[in-house]
Amino acid sequence: ATNGANQADGEIVTVFHDPENFNVKHPLQHKWTLWFTKPGSGKGDNWNELLKEVISFDSVEDFWGIYNNITPTSQLALKSDYHLFKTNVRPEWEDPQNKHGGRWSYSFKERKSIDIDSIWLQVLLAAIGETLEDEGDNEVMGVVVNVRRAFFRIGLWTRTVGKSGPGGQRTNEEGKAVLMKIGARFKEVLGVPDEEQVDFMGHTDSAHSGSTRAKAKITI
Amino acid sequence: LKLETAKNVEPAQPTPGMQALKSARFLNVQMESVTYPGDILSPNPAKNQGKGNACLYDRKFLLQFQEVFKEKPSIDWDQKVKETLGDGGDSAHSGRPSAGAR
Repeated sequence: ATNGANQADGEIVTVFHDPENFNVKHPLQHKWTLWFTKPGSGKGDNWNELLKEVISFDSVEDFWGIYNNITPTSQLALKSDYHLFKTNVRPEWEDPQNKHGGRWSYSFKERKSIDIDSIWLQVLLAAIGETLEDEGDNEVMGVVVNVRRAFFRIGLWTRTVGKSGPGGQRTNEEGKAVLMKIGARFKEVLGVPDEEQVDFMGHTDSAHSGSTRAKAKITI
Repeated sequence: LKLETAKNVEPAQPTPGMQALKSARFLNVQMESVTYPGDILSPNPAKNQGKGNACLYDRKFLLQFQEVFKEKPSIDWDQKVKETLGDGGDSAHSGRPSAGAR
């Protein structure tokens, strides 16, 4: 049944057949943008100046070209962040598309005994391969890794906090179920043991508390 | 003097891999069947068929590209990374020596 398409376009050559002469690449469901937060100097830093857009991509091959040629998380300076967000969403609470959202997050406190590069890579792959949510959930906005003195923290930002907001198509219960399902998949990708908690918190709660350590709303 | 300068700024050429990436078209994951070489796993076709237009790839499939495609996004990439990320010279990564090229 696919003969017609194949013949019309000639032979399909993937990067696995010939990494220098491939003629097809594997599209991603969404276009993604990689952002970087530069560590501040400590005083008077404007966060907007520290947050830099690195590059956008929309194929599997483009992703690997970038990943294989950028500083691994383990070698970033303290107070750096990588953010991988859907293109046209800024990785900030203030972005209108994040305003009603929240995030699942987990802090790896044993910095020396974990392989943060491998964990972050698994999270990136789950995001771009679209396996964190089901089609139509429309919740995943992006993923973040924070490099800090005491921990590496990985977050997954969602569009909602599971409540039916204005124009929402889910009941509160359905909304929460979707968030819990995404949280459970995120936890599995992180390889966090069952007895450990991954927390969810709304961005507005984080903002009002003035700290990202405010009490979690949901845990899984 | 002019001539010497011109000689020195011979522009770097994109590699064949960079050019292939630029000119390659998107595979239609739902409609086109690809025979991958050797023991390369294909993206789970059951996942991709009958699922509207979604392009779903499991992590195992994606990881297979890691050692296969290592081209920089552009010829000036290293410079761009340096400008955007900084050179990390003032970093404080817990005494860990730089691991060098991956």
